[in-house]
Amino acid sequence: MKISRSISTNFKVGLFLSITALMMILFLSHMAYKKGLFEAEHTFTLSSKTGEDLAEGMPIHFAGFRIGRVDQMELNDQGVVIIQIKVPRRHVKWIRTNSVFSLYKPLIGSPRLIVSTENLASPILPEDKVLELVVVNDINEAIKQLTPIIEKVGQIVSHIETITGNLANPKGSVNMILRNAEQVTANFTDKKSIAEMALGDPETVKSLHESVKKIRDILVKLDDMAGKTDVELYGKDGVLPLVRSILSDVLAKLIKLNTALDNVTKVTSDAAASTKDLHLLRKDIDATIQSIGRTVEDLDRIVPLKKEREIKLP
Amino acid sequence: MMYATIERIGETSIRTARSFYETLAFSSLVFFKMFDRTSYNSAMRMVLVNQIYFTSVQVLPLFIAVSILFGSPMVGITLQVLKHFGLADRMGSVLMGFIVTELSPFMTVLLIALRSSSAINAEIAVMKVNRELKTLDVFGIDVLDYLFLPRIINGILSIVCLSSLFSILALASGALFSRFLFDLGINEYTNLLFLSADFSDLFILLVKCILLGFFITLIPIRFGLRATDELTSIPVSVLNGMVKVFIAIVIIEVLSLLLRFL
Repeated sequence: MKISRSISTNFKVGLFLSITALMMILFLSHMAYKKGLFEAEHTFTLSSKTGEDLAEGMPIHFAGFRIGRVDQMELNDQGVVIIQIKVPRRHVKWIRTNSVFSLYKPLIGSPRLIVSTENLASPILPEDKVLELVVVNDINEAIKQLTPIIEKVGQIVSHIETITGNLANPKGSVNMILRNAEQVTANFTDKKSIAEMALGDPETVKSLHESVKKIRDILVKLDDMAGKTDVELYGKDGVLPLVRSILSDVLAKLIKLNTALDNVTKVTSDAAASTKDLHLLRKDIDATIQSIGRTVEDLDRIVPLKKEREIKLP
Repeated sequence: MMYATIERIGETSIRTARSFYETLAFSSLVFFKMFDRTSYNSAMRMVLVNQIYFTSVQVLPLFIAVSILFGSPMVGITLQVLKHFGLADRMGSVLMGFIVTELSPFMTVLLIALRSSSAINAEIAVMKVNRELKTLDVFGIDVLDYLFLPRIINGILSIVCLSSLFSILALASGALFSRFLFDLGINEYTNLLFLSADFSDLFILLVKCILLGFFITLIPIRFGLRATDELTSIPVSVLNGMVKVFIAIVIIEVLSLLLRFL
């Protein structure tokens, strides 16, 4: 019984150690295979003015796929950085004589080497040929694109400063507009109509309305009385004296109205000038808002920091 | 008062330095014994097999469950965060650096220290109190070969094997987790993982596991031997031994981090 238990323990321990060792070997072998350690490699040479952001072991990508790595780097006697890259045999077909090697420095993440080949029918790059490395710098590109936008932003800020300065100045056009507008609106709120505002007296307006009504009645009567006698026409209580009296009254009232209308014209011309100023001001503000809008769109396009929209399910 | 304080500081410093020196001396003795062929007799091998059985095989079901339950969400969350920040191409190095080099040895050493180190400490202390160690010595049995070496070798083997198992299981379950939750293909996952992984990480992991396994068994043995003839000295020796084990784990973790990033 003791012997069988001992065998069982030995077996279990042996099985545990064997399986664990096998798993470790398989893991390491698979890793070595994936890293191309069992595969023949080709060495290509690149040159660069600087070794900045370059490192041994850095991956080389073609069309988004890793096809090799930087193996060695050294500075030659001419001060040029010589970079040796290793590419497994199965990926050599992507590197042709017209291939361009670029060091891509993204805004976020580590730099990487990218190979782009325009014509895959070109001959394969000989191992002794040295290609120059092109640097693509996301940060510099972004700064270059941002510079005109920043200038625009500066202009916008100066416009806003002018507008706010104008607002702050008590003798400025904006404040003048506001004063005129206040006056006009006060007139509108105090009076019931333009005529009342012009004449300045509600009773006069009432009598003017009555006179107009009377004229209308007289005209009707005139139509009816065509062909009636001279007495009826020219007598003391005839139509004509009555018409004359009414028309004199209306004339006096119209002269008063005319003066008042002159005043209205003056006020409205001030208001018109003010609205012109307001219109210009409005145009300025609109242009500024549009400019800011375009600037924000440009910024969004260049620096895509917006989070992707999420579709929330109910 | 001042004199007494300074005296106490001096006494503590000397005691700590002496303890450190004795531990190092004991470590070197055990280290050289490990490479001595005569140490590996049949009795020692039998004890070693039993120790591996108790430390690693018995705990295996629990350990596998912990590896899968803890490892797969960790891998999934790490992947999600990396994808969110557009650093998916760094996934391999992050997973290898975090799950394999840091998390797996830490989880393993935590389990072994809680379960086996405390048991070894108590066992040696009890043997010391019961004068069993003296008896073995009287019979001419080398306690270093028969008792200590199998436990220390078991510690190293168990930590190395269980850490590797934890890493492999966590990464494998993480692949399945990512496949179903994040729609990341197994091939894409293994490509990302292995291509950016570094063999130096695995070497650091191996060295770290060996050191952890060595010290989390050697320190309890050392403190078990410090027990006196009284039964009450057993819990005191276990307590002190486990605190020193904790300090050793922290020191090894810090050293491995420095080694990786300096």
